[in-house]
Amino acid sequence: MSCNNFDIPSSRRQFLHRAGCGFGAVALAALMGEKAIAAPDEEKAIPPLPKFPDHVARAKNVIFLFMEGGPSHLDTFDRKPLLNELAGQPLPASFKPPLTAMGEKNTALLACKRTWKQYGQSGLWVSDWFSKVGEHADDLAILHSCASDGINHAGGVCSMNTGSVFGGRPSLGAWVSYGLGTENKNLPGFVVIKDSEGTVVNGVRNWGSGFMPAVYQGVEFNADGVPIKYLENPKGVTNDRQREKLDLLGEFNKQYGATRQDNTELEARIRGYELAYRMQAEAPAVVDLSKESEATKQLYGMDHEETAVFGRNCLLARRLVENGVRFVQLYSGAGSKWDSHKSIEPLHSKLCRSVDHPIAGLLTDLKARGLLDETLVIWGGEFGRTPMSEQGDGRDHNPTGFTMWMAGGGVKGGQVYGATDDLGLYAVEDRLHVHDIHATILNMLGVDHTKLIYSHKGRPERIDQNEGHAFKKIVS
Amino acid sequence: MLGVGCSAFLLSSACAAEDDAQREANKFFETDVRPLLSKRCFECHSEKKQKGGLRVDSIGALKTGGDTGPALVPGDLEKSPMIEGIRYQNKDFQMPPKEKLPDAEIATLEKWIKLGAPWPQTDADKTKITEGGFTEEQRKFWCFQPLAKVTPPEIAGAWVRGDIDRFIAKKHAETKLDPAPEADRHELVRRAYFDLHGLPPTPAQIDAFVNDKSPNAYEKLVDELLASPRYGERWAQHWLDLVRYAESDGYNADEYRSAVWPYRDWLIKSLNDDKPYDQFVREQLAGDEIAPNDPNVIIATEYLRHPVYEWNQRDVRGQWEIILNDMTDTSGELFLGLSFGCARCHNHKFDPILQKDYFRLKAFFAPVHWRDDLKLATPEQKAKHDEQQAQWEAATADIRAQMDALTKPLVDKKVEKAVEKFTDELQSIIRKPSDQRDALEVQLAGLCQRQMTREEKTFDVMKSLKSEEAKAKYKELEVELKKFDNIKPAPLLDAFVATDAGPKGPPTVMKTRKGEQEIAPGFLTLIAPGDPEIKPIGNSTGRRTALANWITRPDNQLTTRVIVNRVWQYHFGRGIVATSSDLGKLGEKPVFPELLDWMATRFVAEGWSLKKLHREIMLSATYRQTARRQPPEVAAKTDPTNRLLWRFNPHRLDAEEVRDAMLMASGELDFKAGGPSEDGNSTRRSIYTMKKRNNQNELLRSLDAPAGFSSTAERQSTTTPTQALLLMNGDWPMQRARKLAGRVEKIDDAWIYALGRPPTAQERETAQSFIQKRTGGTNANSAAKSDTTESTGDFKENTPQERLLVQTPEKEGDEFTIESIFTLNSIDTAAAVRTVASRWTGGKDSIEAYGWSLGVTGEKSRFKPRNLIIQLVGEDDNTNITYEVVPSNVRIELGHRYHASATVSCIDHSVIFRVQDLTQPDAQLQTVTVPCSVRAKLSGGASALVFGGLNKRAQPHQWDGRIEAMRIATGKLPETELASADPAKWKSALVNWTASVGPSTQFAWSGSDTKATEATDPYRQAMNDLCQVLLNTNEFFYLH
Repeated sequence: MSCNNFDIPSSRRQFLHRAGCGFGAVALAALMGEKAIAAPDEEKAIPPLPKFPDHVARAKNVIFLFMEGGPSHLDTFDRKPLLNELAGQPLPASFKPPLTAMGEKNTALLACKRTWKQYGQSGLWVSDWFSKVGEHADDLAILHSCASDGINHAGGVCSMNTGSVFGGRPSLGAWVSYGLGTENKNLPGFVVIKDSEGTVVNGVRNWGSGFMPAVYQGVEFNADGVPIKYLENPKGVTNDRQREKLDLLGEFNKQYGATRQDNTELEARIRGYELAYRMQAEAPAVVDLSKESEATKQLYGMDHEETAVFGRNCLLARRLVENGVRFVQLYSGAGSKWDSHKSIEPLHSKLCRSVDHPIAGLLTDLKARGLLDETLVIWGGEFGRTPMSEQGDGRDHNPTGFTMWMAGGGVKGGQVYGATDDLGLYAVEDRLHVHDIHATILNMLGVDHTKLIYSHKGRPERIDQNEGHAFKKIVS
Repeated sequence: MLGVGCSAFLLSSACAAEDDAQREANKFFETDVRPLLSKRCFECHSEKKQKGGLRVDSIGALKTGGDTGPALVPGDLEKSPMIEGIRYQNKDFQMPPKEKLPDAEIATLEKWIKLGAPWPQTDADKTKITEGGFTEEQRKFWCFQPLAKVTPPEIAGAWVRGDIDRFIAKKHAETKLDPAPEADRHELVRRAYFDLHGLPPTPAQIDAFVNDKSPNAYEKLVDELLASPRYGERWAQHWLDLVRYAESDGYNADEYRSAVWPYRDWLIKSLNDDKPYDQFVREQLAGDEIAPNDPNVIIATEYLRHPVYEWNQRDVRGQWEIILNDMTDTSGELFLGLSFGCARCHNHKFDPILQKDYFRLKAFFAPVHWRDDLKLATPEQKAKHDEQQAQWEAATADIRAQMDALTKPLVDKKVEKAVEKFTDELQSIIRKPSDQRDALEVQLAGLCQRQMTREEKTFDVMKSLKSEEAKAKYKELEVELKKFDNIKPAPLLDAFVATDAGPKGPPTVMKTRKGEQEIAPGFLTLIAPGDPEIKPIGNSTGRRTALANWITRPDNQLTTRVIVNRVWQYHFGRGIVATSSDLGKLGEKPVFPELLDWMATRFVAEGWSLKKLHREIMLSATYRQTARRQPPEVAAKTDPTNRLLWRFNPHRLDAEEVRDAMLMASGELDFKAGGPSEDGNSTRRSIYTMKKRNNQNELLRSLDAPAGFSSTAERQSTTTPTQALLLMNGDWPMQRARKLAGRVEKIDDAWIYALGRPPTAQERETAQSFIQKRTGGTNANSAAKSDTTESTGDFKENTPQERLLVQTPEKEGDEFTIESIFTLNSIDTAAAVRTVASRWTGGKDSIEAYGWSLGVTGEKSRFKPRNLIIQLVGEDDNTNITYEVVPSNVRIELGHRYHASATVSCIDHSVIFRVQDLTQPDAQLQTVTVPCSVRAKLSGGASALVFGGLNKRAQPHQWDGRIEAMRIATGKLPETELASADPAKWKSALVNWTASVGPSTQFAWSGSDTKATEATDPYRQAMNDLCQVLLNTNEFFYLH
């Protein structure tokens, strides 16, 4: 194996072998919908990339519902009666005082104002903020013991996406694309949709490919209008004219390539332009919801103003997954809107209302279409919130213990896993660090994360920086 | 060879071999101890697994120990951690972890260690471990060997031009390969220009070289290119990649680091001056200790400032730890070519780098203090400045004291609030007098301080002062103070540099499961096991000078190989060692090891001159080979990847080369050198394009320019459909194609400008028929004439008068006034805004989108319908792109005639709307002032100025009604000048337009059946397309 741009493959197999190197040829492989395959190198202790999935798994796709800003686990899925008993008092001395982002100290515990109900045969507790999602309790695997290193939004969002508080590493979606390839080469394998024009903390690098080739990075879709930047022909350029340009380009490139056939990158660039042209045709059709029935739109809450935006995005997510997009990430509250340092009641009320019905609709629809079994739906934010109050009626960031849930994709639903302490401050049982969460997600997709290795600067890099463990109890 | 560490034991065991007691001991070991170790410990601590980095299957391994140091000391139970572990004395350290051993077994191991831990010597042990616990194999690994004294092979032959070629030819002979023919002059000149300048040669430069008949034409070319200042601008980019240079903080706010660019200029200048590499390295690591008063040297220490950090951090202590680790990791890779980062948590699994070595290296950086108080100035400049400053201060002392009296209590309160947000521990450090802080406290307090400085900087006097009286007073004082501006010195340039926190460094602590250990600075144990001599220099520890001196020792086998290999890599596309930042076991092996050592030796002997090294490489026959060779049969079989250089490596241009080459082709490239960076809309070279970590230039990012988070030794070269979309449909590349088309007189020109050669006959024919097909046979370059129908002020969709495109000699800037007389007939049924005037593409997140738009909201707008608003896209305080709506909340009545103006000021952070309904005679003038947060760049986008719509035709955004007159003025017009509703009385400004004026070169209607020039001129349109195609060809993107 050689990490070089200019290998001349003598066979398709050899060609694909090079793909793990992360150079030009990999782009072509990825464009062709191929998965990453690296050749073994015993000397360097880098094992060959196995063929993924490497174990039987049901999930083929992921829809990650990212509540950006940090939703309160204490008011949604992690019920803590003690919190209301001790409300108004300071954190008991038996708890280690946490480092809080906003630096308010010794504040009183803030009661949870929600009413809680047990749902389904499993009897999982869900608060009234997620009563519609609650109806799907028997499909939910609720992880109460999530933990992250990022105490502020920048570190937290980066951590949840890449496993590191700093930029520079590939995002989860990029790792998934790298490991499993795409199923529709006319669409990107990793798509991101936001619910507003707000900028997700740290911007586009949240779905970047870090040290991997750009082909694995997420592509942002606009929910209406033109889905991808520059997807439309330039002003005044008709499709015919665009086609003529591409034909002319193809002709010049063909002449140039005729005497340089060994250079596979040249062919990759030619294909890149053709794929772009096909994407111009296909992507708008995927986001065109006019063929969806009114009943479907209602199912997602598109007929109500407050649920219309996220409902539409959830419906788009289903359509993308149906069309072979591997990893879809939907942001709710883009720009840290879930952040509720004060007035958590009105802030969270509004946001929960905007997502509860659409998410429930998504789960129903996926199930009805037989897609839920192969689609892993993940809900969560970059962290949870503190049991202590902030500014009287808000909660600060809590990366030391918070809730995420998964549904579909072969998870064992109707169960809670892990636990925080009695006040929901620290994860105390089956603690799942983001590295573990990433490993768990890959495991659900049939990927042993310890084998999904990308060789970077001579080092075998993994998504979890060699620290994570897949939490296998959730596999049904 | 056995090292010193183990020999004591081995000697004793050898000498005692005949000794009965020893034989007894050995027997005891074999019968009792070895089975016990095997049964109880091997599962986790032998060949397959080494938990905690420890093996217990040889005495050497036990004595060397694992991550936490030796596991046993022969004869000394108390000093043997293994005993502590098996006795279960320490709750945190119990071995085996599952269950305590039976007492009898503990006793056996105790007895064994008391006996001196006898372990019969076996052949395997002899070769395995040497001093420091390194295996013989590790010790002999190629990159740790001293540079070999190599003589170039004696190989004759016509092909060989220089010594480099002898090495290559020898290898070729051994592998039955042969070199490719020399590249022709066209290939060579293009390669040399891109390689040394990152730019294509101009047609004249190509001609000059191709037609140069002198035998040394190529040598002359290389020398000329090396002497040009363009050389530094190209090669600096490689170093910027390596030092993860970026111009922003890299966290969420991603604040612009406005003082970083002088480092980039230092770098360019150092390369152009051919500063010896050893000095180049020393200045970056320890410029502050070497020449503390020389601004041209201390700026190099910005190398220590590149890690990510942001003013709003709360976990300052944790961040500082991460920053130090980052400096350590990067320096290990960058200078020494070793993946030190792998040894942070345990001994390196593959290379002989001890965990201790990681901390030894880190200790050199531990005293670093990020300074924000220094200036880039000579002592003379400083003295002069300070003297002037003192004069100004004396003259203004009273005024400033009065201002302070108004603001200081308020500022102090804000600052105190910021302090209180830190943990108690950090607060106590912040509140300590600075002379009582120890080194670490100085460092941490410095980082915390930014939060407080930020509070001071963002203090808004007008918002904070409560009484009108105080506000007026403050404004008055401001005016007074301004009067002294003429004696105020120009501010000195901020120095984004580092020094030490003091002469005594903070402790560097290695934490392991067993506890904490303080580690002193030191080099790689394998090469330099002792403690280096370090003497404080002035107020500095002198540590980094010691490190720099060791790194740049002429006999440092790592440094010298690393840099020579990097230079080779940038010339050939791949290093002699393909992984140029990792020469270790996980990296690749060198393909021409002798050549590497020969070049490294020669490089040092030639005074560490990079230019001499470039010359040596570029004049070789090896470099001059053509890339246009299909692999011959032998090569295809044995070396398909061209590791052995049987031709030149073809490669894609990198991001900066592509952008610069497009600007060259379009004739727009601005060669202005140095100074602050500019955004990607500028036509300057890409090295001067702003490098914001979270907001990279989209073209450069799409072509794999790194974001500056970690050191990049080798660029990716990726191809994606989204890249193709950007290149074919994006505004910026499109604009370059138009500009190129504008230069083209005949078809051949397009090829010459874009690709540096005339088209072939076939290509010319293809292009001609392409254009012919488009123009329907007419090949006339007809200028479009606008309709000459009489102009009125009616703007209506699907008529020739939809929008009015306006040319302005200059742009209105960040402070301007728009004035208009208009009537609106309808609003959009959705949320679109009917536009009065704009300079905006309609985008919100790219630098092309910078702009503004004045208009009236639609039915579903979240600002409610019929609201007169202005939308702004510009830079905010953190120099991030920001979009905002500034609503007047004045409702426009449909069918009414209005006189309205908006005065936008990024300096005051406000927009003043003045709206008068002229239809209702008694209507009041409504004046509204609304704050805005955009700080700059409103005129910086790609859009033209347009009346009645946006840059692109988009009907819902277009005006429906009448616009009778428009005026755009730079600056804030006073109210008196905005009073008249009669445009004839409006003073002349940047743009004055009334409907009665017909179309001109300045004003052009755009609508459904009249089109802009490009659209009406099929020839122009076809030529634009042809040029765009050429700028997208593989030939444009590749050197092959």
